[in-house]
Amino acid sequence: MSGRGRPRLAPLVAPLVLLTLLEAGLTACGGDSGGDTAPAGSGSARSDGDTVAVTVTREGDTFTPNGERVELATGQALVLTVEADEAGELHVHSTPEQEIAYDEGTSEHEITIDRPGVVEVESHDPDVILLQLEVR
Amino acid sequence: MSVGRLNVGGSISAHGLGGAKDLPIPAELAIAGAVAALVISFTVLAVAWREPRYDPATSGRPAPAWLDRFASSRALAVTARVLGMAFFLYVAAAAVFGKDSLINPFLGTFYVLLWVGLVPASLLLGPVFRAISPVRTISMLFARISGVPEGEGLYAYPARLGYWPAAAGLFAFVWLELVYPASTDLGPVRLWCAAYLGIMLIGSAVWGTTFLERADPFEVYSSLVARLSVWGRRDGVLVLRSPLANLDTVVPRPGLVAVVGVLFGSTAFDSFRESTPWLKLVQSLSTSRVLPDTVALVVFSAGVALVLAVATMATGVTSDTPRRALPDLFAHSVVPIIVGYVVAHYLSYFVEYGQTTVIQLSDPFSRGDDYLGTADLQVSYWLSSHPTFLAVTKVLAVALGHVVGVVAAHDRAIKLLPRRHQLTGQLPMLVAMVGFTVGGLYLLFAA
Repeated sequence: MSGRGRPRLAPLVAPLVLLTLLEAGLTACGGDSGGDTAPAGSGSARSDGDTVAVTVTREGDTFTPNGERVELATGQALVLTVEADEAGELHVHSTPEQEIAYDEGTSEHEITIDRPGVVEVESHDPDVILLQLEVR
Repeated sequence: MSVGRLNVGGSISAHGLGGAKDLPIPAELAIAGAVAALVISFTVLAVAWREPRYDPATSGRPAPAWLDRFASSRALAVTARVLGMAFFLYVAAAAVFGKDSLINPFLGTFYVLLWVGLVPASLLLGPVFRAISPVRTISMLFARISGVPEGEGLYAYPARLGYWPAAAGLFAFVWLELVYPASTDLGPVRLWCAAYLGIMLIGSAVWGTTFLERADPFEVYSSLVARLSVWGRRDGVLVLRSPLANLDTVVPRPGLVAVVGVLFGSTAFDSFRESTPWLKLVQSLSTSRVLPDTVALVVFSAGVALVLAVATMATGVTSDTPRRALPDLFAHSVVPIIVGYVVAHYLSYFVEYGQTTVIQLSDPFSRGDDYLGTADLQVSYWLSSHPTFLAVTKVLAVALGHVVGVVAAHDRAIKLLPRRHQLTGQLPMLVAMVGFTVGGLYLLFAA
């Protein structure tokens, strides 16, 4: 009875071995992928090695950028230049969370993230996600 | 997120629980690997696995007698109920008298320990939620006080309702978690829980505990996942089964396809809603993102159920199994896939925010108390700090889930389908599984 009830694992082994091999390739690939994507990408982000600079603009309840992905290294500084026509708050959903309060006019704020992950930078009231930082 | 250090908890709204999320990884290799694994396992199965191997009436080895006595003992049942109820009351006190703040442990207990934690708990220990379920305990106490025979209600639960109420309850939960903007405000979550408790208690008074078995979203979810554990029962005797043989014992009922559709679809939606194109789209609309997110959640959930229904029905059948019964008969094969994606999606969240919640549980009223002695513990962020290990674990979990699903569906196909359709009848299902794999992994890793 238990012989019939027990599954034969052989059919599962082949695909899993194959997968494991692919994992090895993936791991190798994942390791160096930081190198070729280091320049902080498209849009409004500018990178000069030590820091990545992004300009955030607020006009009333309208923000730019709108949900843009920005790549950042752990420990690398992100310099946010906020140009706002009214004061407000940005939330950086890192672990732990960070908050940036900005005044009307142009102000500069610097943050660093010390652990890998995707971190959202969100305006508070109105709630709009401005940036998704891919921290590697 | 150790709230309270850098900000005052509770001010960060509309963001769900937890801070940073996992990094995406290169999707191409993961997808190629998983698809190859599926196709190869299907081919191997077609050649080597020609007779059904699983039969709930005979599968499983009886557990040692002492273990069965312990697992079936009244003492264990009462202990589980007392502990479950005590924990429920403790967290309910935090929900009712605690502060509306992210450091209130009620939120972490609800979204992380209960919703995510019931998956590993049920995988390891079997159907744990029903053993500790506070609504089950309360309804048993009511029955005891009012003299109603235990488990019975006023009416017999209508068989054709099946799991549909659970599907509705699960949808209500994922909507609250993933769509509702104030999902981390104390009030709405407390209201959701009160409605859940009320509906469950009334339902169990009317239809008995059968209602809880079919309609309680947490109990149905936990009991489905428990079919992937090694613990089962045959004629009341505790047996040890392989997870695949145990999965075969899932009882198909109306609405099971909807349950797996919501569970799987919502996990996919959770990745989709954070993808850059969707984020840019919903934020460029002048209205709130609740409506488009709700529509997308429905589309993802119904889409999974529909693909599954079409793929299982597109085969020749025998006269004993009507075509429209097939989707529910094959729905069990999606359960391992759901578990795979839950591991992939929530592993770091569960481990890291789970620790945060355990720390918060010492201070239910946000006064700086240390009731449980956990207040001074520190969260270990080992998983987040090893993104490659995390990524590899995720791909393995998803691929393993899909392979187990293919095996479960294959065994069911050769049991149900007429011989000449056994191979061709499975092809639509294989196409659906490959589609799920590509779509799921793409969302998980590229988005």
